[in-house]
Amino acid sequence: MDKRKIEENIFKGLMIFSTFIIFGSIVFILVTIFLKGFPALSFDMITKTPKGGYYLGKEGGILNAILGSIVLGLGATLFAFLISVPIVFYLNLYLKRKSKLAFFIRFSLDVLWGIPSIVYGAFGFVLMVFFGFGASLLAGIITVGFLIIPIMARSMDEVLKMIPQELKEASYALGATKLETAVKVIFKQAMPGILTAVLLGFGRAIGDAAAVLFTAGFTDYLPYSLFKPVATLPLAIFFQLGTPFPEVQERGYASALILTIIILFINISARMLAKKFNKNIVK
Amino acid sequence: MKFKTHISIKDLNVWYEKHQVLNNINIDIPDKKITVIIGPSGCGKTTLLKSFNRLIDLQDGVMVSGQVFVDGENIYDEKIEVTHLRKKMGLLSQRPQVLPMSIYDNVAYSPRIHGLKNKKKLDELVEHELNEAGLWNEVKERLSGPASKLSIGQQQRLCLARGLAADPEIILGDEPTSALDPISAEKIEQRFLDLKNKYTIVLVTHNLRQAKRLADYVIFLYLGNIIEYGKADEIFKNPKYSKTKDYLNGKFIEEHKIDKELNLKGTVCPDNFVKTKVALEELEVGQVLRIIIDYEQAVIEVPKTIEYEGHKVLEVKSINRTDWEIIIEKRNDGEI
Repeated sequence: MDKRKIEENIFKGLMIFSTFIIFGSIVFILVTIFLKGFPALSFDMITKTPKGGYYLGKEGGILNAILGSIVLGLGATLFAFLISVPIVFYLNLYLKRKSKLAFFIRFSLDVLWGIPSIVYGAFGFVLMVFFGFGASLLAGIITVGFLIIPIMARSMDEVLKMIPQELKEASYALGATKLETAVKVIFKQAMPGILTAVLLGFGRAIGDAAAVLFTAGFTDYLPYSLFKPVATLPLAIFFQLGTPFPEVQERGYASALILTIIILFINISARMLAKKFNKNIVK
Repeated sequence: MKFKTHISIKDLNVWYEKHQVLNNINIDIPDKKITVIIGPSGCGKTTLLKSFNRLIDLQDGVMVSGQVFVDGENIYDEKIEVTHLRKKMGLLSQRPQVLPMSIYDNVAYSPRIHGLKNKKKLDELVEHELNEAGLWNEVKERLSGPASKLSIGQQQRLCLARGLAADPEIILGDEPTSALDPISAEKIEQRFLDLKNKYTIVLVTHNLRQAKRLADYVIFLYLGNIIEYGKADEIFKNPKYSKTKDYLNGKFIEEHKIDKELNLKGTVCPDNFVKTKVALEELEVGQVLRIIIDYEQAVIEVPKTIEYEGHKVLEVKSINRTDWEIIIEKRNDGEI
């Protein structure tokens, strides 16, 4: 075999190896969660709130955390969406491609993306202290919202960048303003990509523990007010895995399984939704 | 020349960054006639056309001086409402660009944003404009279907209907038939002849035979200067300047110097795009690549992606019923 062929084979082997590592670890994680958590999964767990001594292995479930996570995740996603959309439309329709301001905004978003979530949590906590309100659903939504804005905005930005100039020109040439073009044309064309960006944000929002630790707090009650603490699945998992009781740890794995199922469910339904929007897209 | 003026251009200069594209343009464009702008590639034809509806404002690094009067109003005046101005002019581009919505919604787009809500009136208008564009019979059964599924020729006629629905006074065409097959191209040409009693039409074309068939007036543009302007039959029979004569006889210009050719017949997206990109990587900046494709969707898709990569698409042309050529100049790529 000549040298080039050997080179080719070595690199191909490396690629397969990397793929295998990633794929293997995903399977490993899912199997672990399933094997350890499934036996502890019960109807009570998803329909009841923790009763006294739940964390000692007694009665109850984690409905508080399930609902709390969904409410907080949706709230944060909505909040981040409402802020990200104007940013990306401003970047892609109102600013010129090589504008310094656009470069600066993108750069800042990239930096924000890299900041660990515990820092967002601390930042949210400082703000809360300043405004004088305690751990609450609202504080959690805002903090997690800030955490996912860079993720959402940058992913949407990449999608909007790909929209051809001619499509915008076609709309302008018909007498449309930039806003009308953004809402009626660009938004439709970019819909599948925007949906993916929202999903990315939601996945991060519902799965993050550090950002909600100080800001959303934890409670055994169901979420009922924006101004009261709220339970979340990641923290529930954290607390349950942290107990010394094997049966409670098992419930932690069951909670992780529930979280995974929620994310999977949202992903699949969003993809089905995206298909519906796909039909009018100009290729 | 004696005629009623619709668009009047005074001392128009346009620069892209430091490069001057249009040089002191002074012309009057007649009302309800077909004026055709001819000239070799890169002479500023498209820039001139886009300066009429101020689409050049949107390009990076463009500077404009001078005045363009439409109906006596200077469109480069700061007070001018640019959406109102653009509504007056329907634009057909070289590659048809349908909006990501149904056929019906494409036509209804402009009337809706300008305030028409009555469903019945919209229905009538959509039917009327699709008829005007000669498309109604082909699409009346599938008005709610996606516009992107139409053939390129149909898409171009849809763009025409969509432009007409905005109730314009002027139709601008930037080589509107060059990417179409001969039959679709002829349909569009026929539309122009039918519509010229109602609209002022300004066309850019590479195709001299088409210019002869359509033009009432001809502008010959060369390197950003107007060399000759006048009645079509006079210019075609007795051009005053030798440059015009040479151009009409096909003596100089026109052919791009091709540095590399690529036959992509039988390939589909994104294969053809990837191969084009790889071929461009082997060229020097400024060199020209010619590709041949026979996959209709690629006629729109490949140029779009190539331009996104920062290169310049010089020409997209239908060669025969099944094949197209796309001519691309390699530009300084890298940052976007």
